[in-house]
Amino acid sequence: MKNPYLPLPMRLVKNFIETEDNLIHTFTLEFLREEDEKSFQYLPGQFAEVSVFGTGEAPFGIASSPTEPGHLKFSVAKVGVVTTTLHQLPEGTILGVRGPLGNNYPLEEFKGKNLVVIGGGFAFTTLRSLITYILHPEHRGDYGELTVIYGARNPGLLLYKEELAEWEKRSDINLVCTIDRPVEGWNGRVGFVPTVTKEVAPSANNAYAVICGPPVMIKFTMPVLEELGFPPERIIMSLENRMKCGIGMCGRCNVGNKYVCKDGPVFTRAQLNQLPNEY
Amino acid sequence: MDDITRAIQETAKNLLLNKEVDLVVGFARGSLPLRNTPCFVRQPDDVQKLIWGYGCENNLANYLRKRPEKIAVIAKGCDTRSIVELIKENQIDRNKLVIIGVPCQGMIDRKKITRLLAGRELLEGEVKDGQVILKGREFREIIPLNQLLYDTCLNCQHPNPVLSDILIGEPVPVKENICFTDVEEFEAKTPAEKWAYFQEELSRCIRCYACRQACPMCYCEECFADCSMPQWLSKSSLNTQDNIFFQAVRVLHLAGRCVDCGACDRACPMGINLRTLTRKMVKDVQELFGYTAGIRLDQKPPLAAPVSTIN
Amino acid sequence: MLILNQDQLANWLNQLTDTYKVFAPVKDGDHYTFKEISSGNQVTLNYTNTKVPPKEVLFPRSEKLFCYRQENEGIQLEEKIDESKKVIFGLRPCDAKGFLLLDNVFNNDKYQDPYYLNRRKNTILVGLGCNQPATTCFCTSLGGGPFASEGLDILLVDIGNRYVVEVVTEKGQELLSGLNLPAAEPEAQEAARKVKEEAALSTSINLDGLKAKLDVIFYDPIWDLIHEKCLGCAACTYSCPTCHCFDIVDEAEGKEGCRIRNWDACMFPLFTLHGSGHNPRPTGKERFRQRVMHKFKYFVDNFNAVACVGCGRCIINCPVNLDIREVLAEIQGLEVRSDKQ
Repeated sequence: MKNPYLPLPMRLVKNFIETEDNLIHTFTLEFLREEDEKSFQYLPGQFAEVSVFGTGEAPFGIASSPTEPGHLKFSVAKVGVVTTTLHQLPEGTILGVRGPLGNNYPLEEFKGKNLVVIGGGFAFTTLRSLITYILHPEHRGDYGELTVIYGARNPGLLLYKEELAEWEKRSDINLVCTIDRPVEGWNGRVGFVPTVTKEVAPSANNAYAVICGPPVMIKFTMPVLEELGFPPERIIMSLENRMKCGIGMCGRCNVGNKYVCKDGPVFTRAQLNQLPNEY
Repeated sequence: MDDITRAIQETAKNLLLNKEVDLVVGFARGSLPLRNTPCFVRQPDDVQKLIWGYGCENNLANYLRKRPEKIAVIAKGCDTRSIVELIKENQIDRNKLVIIGVPCQGMIDRKKITRLLAGRELLEGEVKDGQVILKGREFREIIPLNQLLYDTCLNCQHPNPVLSDILIGEPVPVKENICFTDVEEFEAKTPAEKWAYFQEELSRCIRCYACRQACPMCYCEECFADCSMPQWLSKSSLNTQDNIFFQAVRVLHLAGRCVDCGACDRACPMGINLRTLTRKMVKDVQELFGYTAGIRLDQKPPLAAPVSTIN
Repeated sequence: MLILNQDQLANWLNQLTDTYKVFAPVKDGDHYTFKEISSGNQVTLNYTNTKVPPKEVLFPRSEKLFCYRQENEGIQLEEKIDESKKVIFGLRPCDAKGFLLLDNVFNNDKYQDPYYLNRRKNTILVGLGCNQPATTCFCTSLGGGPFASEGLDILLVDIGNRYVVEVVTEKGQELLSGLNLPAAEPEAQEAARKVKEEAALSTSINLDGLKAKLDVIFYDPIWDLIHEKCLGCAACTYSCPTCHCFDIVDEAEGKEGCRIRNWDACMFPLFTLHGSGHNPRPTGKERFRQRVMHKFKYFVDNFNAVACVGCGRCIINCPVNLDIREVLAEIQGLEVRSDKQ
């Protein structure tokens, strides 16, 4: 019987300060053993439980894409014991990873469709995985138009600035970055994500919307999507909840009769409408 | 007892009808023999649920902290002392609380009944003329009431409410001596004996935190036991040492605040004797600071004021 | 059906302790608990039910999942799987049913928990039927019964100074091999039948339409007040044969340590607290609703079974006498519109 509680050892190869307030770091991890890397088959949307041995474990969405072999990337906000310790770790530290856990974005259903990806703040992690996957030459042809709307409070808080710069240059993705208030040196859009989404007005025709962000952003963007004509079955969301086991047994992360770790974290708006508003 | 019940119902009804309060917190009949259960009444017609008896064992002050509405509470002596301390700690607004004090003749200890019945189930219980009639499938026992009261009640120095707006029932005579014999006996043991005792008792602890949740004075938003930065103690209930640590620190946090109501001890589902530590704390505070918690509103708690010890 | 004499019991238990870790009810202060015994004389079967269920034999209050040691080139992990053979002796049918319900949790549609499942596989359950259910027992309302054999390998029926032994499974059969117990003669069988007939439950809960109500009343104001006296401790959770919530923590000293899982409870305020400070269940109302919903609706949605066996321990152990029977009755009294919220 496979033991789903045992982590695989991974080496921390890069501890990168992602945001200018130093609250979010992106960690690049490499497997120590080739067979572990082979066994860790994941898709965008899934998460893993990262162990800091002696401190604890915490769940993070996988920010890297399976099209970027050889490593895993996680972006981590400093909020508690594990994350604070993680932020201070030197490169070379051995960590543990359990996963991949949860379900992935419905890539099969996305095939042939246009995609509107909306992210806010540091909820962009698994969206990076999704976008990188779709943009990969092996996959790009499977999907239609790709529109990405990504908002943060200020430019310093945008994640993955390098990737964003690259994507901006491409013609097979329409990337719209926005910040809350005007800042000197920023030549891009200014405005909250819901407003910008309304302005960009992506067509709902033959399209899926994927939205990840803080509750307030979701609250105000959802009506915009509905107005644009996206039905609840074609609005995809990724939920967060306090987790421990990640495998649907410890009882902590349930929303109604679903466990966010096992039955999610990816849900459609239609599925969420069936569940109690307790997340 | 029935007179008191009637008076409580009357008083509650009037308070609600006159809109002097929005809520009356009292006791209703429990679902187990000789048990009463906390009851929250908001409609004048519901006052019929309110009851008084020897099963009103919970400390209702626990339900009074930081409430926005005007409340009346049916309070025994120990409850009112907790209320006094909570007022001092700004957890209760005196102006929004109506204290319906009931001089207390003591509450029945369910553990003593369990012990006495030795495995037989209690089906019915009744208190009459100072006797408790215990009925089961194949037995009927009559036990003097004072053999079944909680030890806290047998020792109680403050059965009469120290603070009240309305008083129901006749004051109860107070026992003369402050009695800490149990603590003194324990103090006389050797350290090894004391440690062995605590190991034995606290090995039964399942860290359900019923003791903490039942205590009116335990209201920290993040209890030290739940703190993870830093983590003060193990969360494992099989770690007896840390079970002892939990109780010891909890009791220390109650110094000068604990009124020895026994709510913690009564709440414990595993029947652990929690009062050795609490009563030692109460005794120490009396000896060191000359202070007994919850007696007077104008007395500052010793650990909140500049310290001066009494020799 | 076989016969076991009262005086053979202690010997049998002694024999079992040679091969198995035997857990049986012993007197523990004023109550009874399941403890590992070394001698048959420690056991008392003259009990209604234990304070806490024997679930901790298969799902300990605290257990090491693995230990680790940090070394220069990596990390050594050592799994801590318990492969020892056990017998839980003298448990009640409700507690056996509890294990059947827990099986759904630890062996779900995607993952298996090797810790629980290994113990489960290596444990034999010898039950003792209830000649005299307590007034707080309502197992029959949940499809169980004082002499139900579901989940047991052997069921003992106490007929005085003897037990009628019902062999339920092959595992049970194997446990008895070597004992050469005689067959139960007609008088004994009749006595057993009589004892079963006379074991009556005096309380119940009404499940009719309960799930349908719970499906639609999530936002109903009934939850505002029904929880009010609840203290938010875990007395009910830790007494429950089917509660399974747990926490996972690391405990370390220097370069070595262990990952441990401990019982936890959804009744605790911090149970669902996010690192950001957001808590989806911020007050006792949400947490109490979760408890009722999980046991009587979500578990049914997922496993077609109510996560309650009617043992009544939550009723007995609750410090404020919050009685699940009264809660359910109040919910059942609700007039519910047929349209959803």
